[in-house]
Amino acid sequence: MSDNFETLQQVIESDTFARVDIALRAGRHVHREDVEQYGFLQEALPLLEAFYARFGCQLIRAEDGYFFLLPTSDLLPRRQLTAGEMLVGQTLALLYLDPAALASNGVITRKHLMERLVSLVGERELVTALNPRRRANDNERVVQENTRKEVSKALRGLAALGFAELMPEEQIRLRPPLTRFMEPVRGVEDPAGVLARLIAAGRVVGEADEESEDDE
Amino acid sequence: MATDPHRVIAGLLNEGASLQLGTVDLCFLIALHTRADEGSLTGYEEEDMLDVFEQVCEVVEPGVENPRKRATHAIHRLRVQRLLTRVDAGGVLHEGEYAMTGLASAIVQFYLHEEALTRESLTLLTKTLLANIADVKASARGASSDEDWRANVVAPLRITVGDLVGGIERRQRGLDTQQMEVQRKISELLQADWFESLQRCQTLLDDTTATLSELNEVLLHDTTQMIDLLQDVEQLAIAAGRAEAEEATHRVIEHVDRVAAWGRSRQVAWSEYYQQAHRFLRDVVRLDPTRALSERLRNQIAQWSRRRFALVVSAAGPLRIMRSLEARPERPAVVQPARDRELALEEIDFDVEPAEIEERVRAARAAGATTLAEVLRSVLSDMSPARQFVMVGRVAQQVAPDATSERERAWREVPGGIEVEDWGLKHE
Repeated sequence: MSDNFETLQQVIESDTFARVDIALRAGRHVHREDVEQYGFLQEALPLLEAFYARFGCQLIRAEDGYFFLLPTSDLLPRRQLTAGEMLVGQTLALLYLDPAALASNGVITRKHLMERLVSLVGERELVTALNPRRRANDNERVVQENTRKEVSKALRGLAALGFAELMPEEQIRLRPPLTRFMEPVRGVEDPAGVLARLIAAGRVVGEADEESEDDE
Repeated sequence: MATDPHRVIAGLLNEGASLQLGTVDLCFLIALHTRADEGSLTGYEEEDMLDVFEQVCEVVEPGVENPRKRATHAIHRLRVQRLLTRVDAGGVLHEGEYAMTGLASAIVQFYLHEEALTRESLTLLTKTLLANIADVKASARGASSDEDWRANVVAPLRITVGDLVGGIERRQRGLDTQQMEVQRKISELLQADWFESLQRCQTLLDDTTATLSELNEVLLHDTTQMIDLLQDVEQLAIAAGRAEAEEATHRVIEHVDRVAAWGRSRQVAWSEYYQQAHRFLRDVVRLDPTRALSERLRNQIAQWSRRRFALVVSAAGPLRIMRSLEARPERPAVVQPARDRELALEEIDFDVEPAEIEERVRAARAAGATTLAEVLRSVLSDMSPARQFVMVGRVAQQVAPDATSERERAWREVPGGIEVEDWGLKHE
């Protein structure tokens, strides 16, 4: 039982509940820097875990200091991140581990992100991944512009989910939930095995699942 | 006296002021400063300066040709940019003696970091400042003449107190630079040694945090006292009607406020960095001592297009919140006003007069009237004058088909003062 909340009624009657509930259901990751909401979730965790279980969801508390809601049944809608969100998210996660970002208080520039993305994935791979309907004779300049637009769209999506914060002057503040992108490579085990386990737990969708969902 | 920035900027623009200093120039200035410091010199002989430049050249640009010629050019450059000034009046009679200007000293101090704020320097400065302000307050209490106020209140506030507060601010800027360097150094240490640097990073963080906390404590305590004293001086100036002293005190209060605000803002900024850095050391460095995670993540990204996966997130739409009930204003439809197209029948009195007239005309003709005038006289005789005029036309219309035309028709008078051109009438 939590220190401050003894019943679910007390949790639901709290001023913070509605905002946290809406944020979690929309897929937002609530982290330490969301001070009020994070504190509320810490205090109400045991009661809320049982509450969300009735909606077929798991309220997950990650060791890196964030909470998120994972639907494990069809009662609440869920979605998988897009290719753009996955590539940008993984790159931001890598930058989160870089001591250079620490010197700027965890803030990087969009230009820095693009440079790192291109150096990691390769320009051609990046263009292909973010423009799946591209044809061979498409105008190169248009394709590149579309790629940049896709990256911006992915950033907006990730910001809405609490992975990053978009700041003025093309700056991006990196947030602790980015460590979710590292889950398959966190331990010393074979990443393929970890990935299979994450897929089985419903935290990740693999390529085979994606195809089957497309078929539907 | 406050300096007008517009005038300063206009002056700089007029002069075309600029600073262009290479590494060798900066090193030369610092070497000169050190030489003066060690030898307690007040100026530099030209020969000494050439020696110092040669020594600097050996380190900065070893093997350079004609170092003395370069030294002459360097001294000229520094003089033109007002970093060195000739202090003797010898002209061409003998070699010159030079001194550093305030600008050059400020540049040298910046690089030597001699003025970073420490607990000792801050305490010394604030205590001296408090003593000075207390003296000013005592002088203000006893001042009676203009001269007293100017010499014992305004001048010390502008010069002694102003300089001391300025000294604290200068050292604050020095500490700002130190903090930035600590942040840069922590990143460099982690970049180079990762887990091995953990302890050194921690020490750097803790030392800076301790320094800032101490400074902030001193600032909070002493600036409150300073403001209290200065407000007393301001009240005395207001009571004595000394606008100049009031303005000088007000300016120092603003200056002291700025010094206190610096402490608060740096504490907040450092606290944010401290938390971020601690989290990084704890969550990233300690949990990944060999830095293998970055490498594995890099591989994951590179291979992602061949082995795709995607995170799953909840995607419930926002709750549908019903709009609160509100009365909508009724908007009338745009229509023409209703109009009854079936006109209602109007009941009017039947006008029997025309029929009567026709009958009377026929009776008159039957009685033997053979001209229009005779018929009119018979018909109109008992009518009102207004009706008579109207009936002339009707009668004429009725008899017209039987009228006979003559070349000369006579005009005859009929009732009502009316004259008509007479017609002959055929028998009916």
